[in-house]
Amino acid sequence: MTSMPSTTKTRSKLAAAALLLACMTAPGSVPARADDAAVAVVERTTSGVIAILTDQKLSTDEKRKRVEDVVLQSVDFETLSKLVLARNWTRFSDPQRTEFLSLFRNHLSMTYGRNVEGYKNEKVTITGSRAETGGDSTVKTKILRGGPGDVMIDYRLRQRDGQWKIIDVIIEGVSLVSNFRSQFQDVVSGGGPEKLLELLREKNVKGEPLKSR
Amino acid sequence: MRTSPLDRLWASLLAVVIAFLLAAPLTAAADEQEATTSDAGADYDPWQRMNRGIFWFNDRADVYVLEPVAKGWDAIVPQRAENSVSNFFTNLRFPVVMANNLLQGKPGDAAIDVGRFMVNSTIGIGGLFDVATLWGLQRHNEDFGQTLGVWGVPPGPYLVLPLLGPSNPRDTAGIPVDYVLSVTPLFLSSYWWTGAGIINIVNGRAQVLDEVQQAKSASLDYYVFVRNAYYQRRKALVNDQKDESGTTPTDDLYDLNAIDDQNSK
Repeated sequence: MTSMPSTTKTRSKLAAAALLLACMTAPGSVPARADDAAVAVVERTTSGVIAILTDQKLSTDEKRKRVEDVVLQSVDFETLSKLVLARNWTRFSDPQRTEFLSLFRNHLSMTYGRNVEGYKNEKVTITGSRAETGGDSTVKTKILRGGPGDVMIDYRLRQRDGQWKIIDVIIEGVSLVSNFRSQFQDVVSGGGPEKLLELLREKNVKGEPLKSR
Repeated sequence: MRTSPLDRLWASLLAVVIAFLLAAPLTAAADEQEATTSDAGADYDPWQRMNRGIFWFNDRADVYVLEPVAKGWDAIVPQRAENSVSNFFTNLRFPVVMANNLLQGKPGDAAIDVGRFMVNSTIGIGGLFDVATLWGLQRHNEDFGQTLGVWGVPPGPYLVLPLLGPSNPRDTAGIPVDYVLSVTPLFLSSYWWTGAGIINIVNGRAQVLDEVQQAKSASLDYYVFVRNAYYQRRKALVNDQKDESGTTPTDDLYDLNAIDDQNSK
């Protein structure tokens, strides 16, 4: 119940060491659990992002670009978009789907890419993982912020072509997929796919960088 | 002076009664919608017209009053001091959190809350420093709205309260109960309590200046963004008992087959 960050960290380190040991001593005979592969993806992504953010040689723009590359490698953006549009996906024609994918991706990297400027040496720790029904995995992490309190971020991953990819990000219990689904549902049911594309285009043009405090 | 907190209590109670009277005829409609859409709860908003109006009003009040004041506060008060102010008020909320943990059948958590209060009030200098968390005594987020949720009371339709913001009938009903449980106002004159409350609100707003701005720019419809986020967050908080992570969106959210089924129709 009171899982201290330090213990979980040690535990995950131990788990990683055990996994490594298993791989070294009996190659092939002990298949790694699906979970561990998913955890590895999240671990690689978060540590990759932090490495970029702490690199003082990089300008803000370079950082943003590189973070985007690292994140997109680990995200199954097509599945994520499909889940966001849900049954509305069928109302989109193929060209509309392609445009939606690129507009939505731009929108996300533009709005969340701004966080690059606000990085204040937060650390990320993986606090656990669990297998979901249907074969997905959820990897639980915590952003350790010290004073203002920690932030719980869960990643939901799905295997595609043998690769674990992130299909949703759940911040303090709020799923990004569900949140955008609600917003887009309103727009599409009111004005159809074209209305949604139009709003996203507008939003992408308007996007101005956030002033850093 | 002793009557004024009570006056406010009665006003809140009245608001709750009104909210429930409004909610009653709509329960049937809620069940219907639940059956048709997979994630009906998050978007269940039969009072949308009124809600959007109040939401707009709240947003104006925020943009023209609260946010500028919070920006000023943020410019003057160092981050560490802001954290301490926040810790101080969190520590004062101890009776509410503990009582609700007991009401939810979590005596272990309630005991941790007592420990937290004792550690932070003494070693943490009156609650300014959250030493307890460093010691592994986890902070809990509990209120009577969540307790009702644990008892099986559904949230009901989305409801935006003037100045208080996003809510629902269940969580609104929790407000006066938490007010009674919080004990502190009964010991303080209303002047002190109001002043402290304002500082708490301004300081709290100052800590999320960037986050709110980002939420506004990240959303196509800020109203729906907040409505969905509130629903999901409250659900996660109620469920913390069953699942430590508190983050289990419904599984059919992730079901691509459901979409493909629609394809073939």
